[in-house]
Amino acid sequence: MTNPYEVLGVAPTAASADIQKAYRKLAKKLHPDLNPGDKAAEEKFKEVTAAYDLLGDAEKRKRFDAGEIDATGAERPQQRFYRDYATSDHAHPYTSDSGYADFMDADDALAELLRRSERARANRRGQDLHYRLPIDFAESITGANKRLTLPDGGTLDVTIPPGLVDGQILRLRGKGAPGAGTGGPGDALIEVEVEPDPRFTREGDDISLELPISLSEAVLGGRIRVPTPTGAVTMTVPKGSNTGTMMRLKGKGAPRDGGGHGDQFVKLKVVLPKSPDPELEAFVSNWEKGKAFDPREDGAS
Amino acid sequence: MTMDKQDFLSRAGLQVQTLELWLEQRWLIPEQTSAGTNFSDMDVARARLIRDLKDDFGVNDAGVDVILHLLDQLHGLRRAFDQLHRDI
Repeated sequence: MTNPYEVLGVAPTAASADIQKAYRKLAKKLHPDLNPGDKAAEEKFKEVTAAYDLLGDAEKRKRFDAGEIDATGAERPQQRFYRDYATSDHAHPYTSDSGYADFMDADDALAELLRRSERARANRRGQDLHYRLPIDFAESITGANKRLTLPDGGTLDVTIPPGLVDGQILRLRGKGAPGAGTGGPGDALIEVEVEPDPRFTREGDDISLELPISLSEAVLGGRIRVPTPTGAVTMTVPKGSNTGTMMRLKGKGAPRDGGGHGDQFVKLKVVLPKSPDPELEAFVSNWEKGKAFDPREDGAS
Repeated sequence: MTMDKQDFLSRAGLQVQTLELWLEQRWLIPEQTSAGTNFSDMDVARARLIRDLKDDFGVNDAGVDVILHLLDQLHGLRRAFDQLHRDI
């Protein structure tokens, strides 16, 4: 595994603009289509692309710098200190009972408890392992099946339940570290991180979305396509809809705990044509009623 | 998760000679199998601790020996105490 900073030939402190510049320069030189027949260039191009994939994404770069993922983007468990292992229930060769062995020889209740715990420790459950898994906003609503690449090259199939929220922790029973004796393995704990979608905002089980509509759709009404996390649906906009008008798409929100779904709220936003339109200008300047209407007459100036 | 010697050396950031020395001192006790020596994540963490003690804190070899011995006792006690706590 090569260091992505070295692959791109930039310093670990480089600004993202410099990383982009370095990537473009290398990519131009190495692109397979510009080097037909040069196998080495192709390999190098893949490497450069992978490195840029990681460093070009501010979030991934941050995680790589913090050592949470390796150069291939695979999850790396958070750094564990020795004490995390030493105090775990896992049997290990470094255990020493010389700090309390003399108590155990005694004939009282405490000694009996100590002796019992010595025996119990031989059959300890394995440790829980912690991972992080980023998913799309849409996946958090619909649910998904994801595969997590583990540091040892193995994989873990994770079923994302529909309606999951950011920071929720999924427990996969028996997918943690192996246990001792008849103790059985620990669990894998996966913290799911929902990447925000710029279009949608979630509040509880409801989702809201601001949807631009054209002037003619606002005035005349019509059927328009609306994106939802589960795919686009058709919605009827009534005649004379205004900016700020709220429409409700029933059952298009996140799944509810007790069954059913929340709603999706669509807030309309009237958008004028991009370039000034002479016909529209001509119409509005001759439109006496429109001029007479003052939306600020009730004091909202 | 276990690994072979080569993997262990790169993950713990150790030289072969250093490892030999530490094994001789019994600072590290990797698992011995028919296929050879097997290192665990715990061995890596312990090796990093020893490296921190020696390189960053300037503890000498005799000092590392004492610290490890006391630490092993402390952790043994902590475990026994923890177990007692759960039993009562």
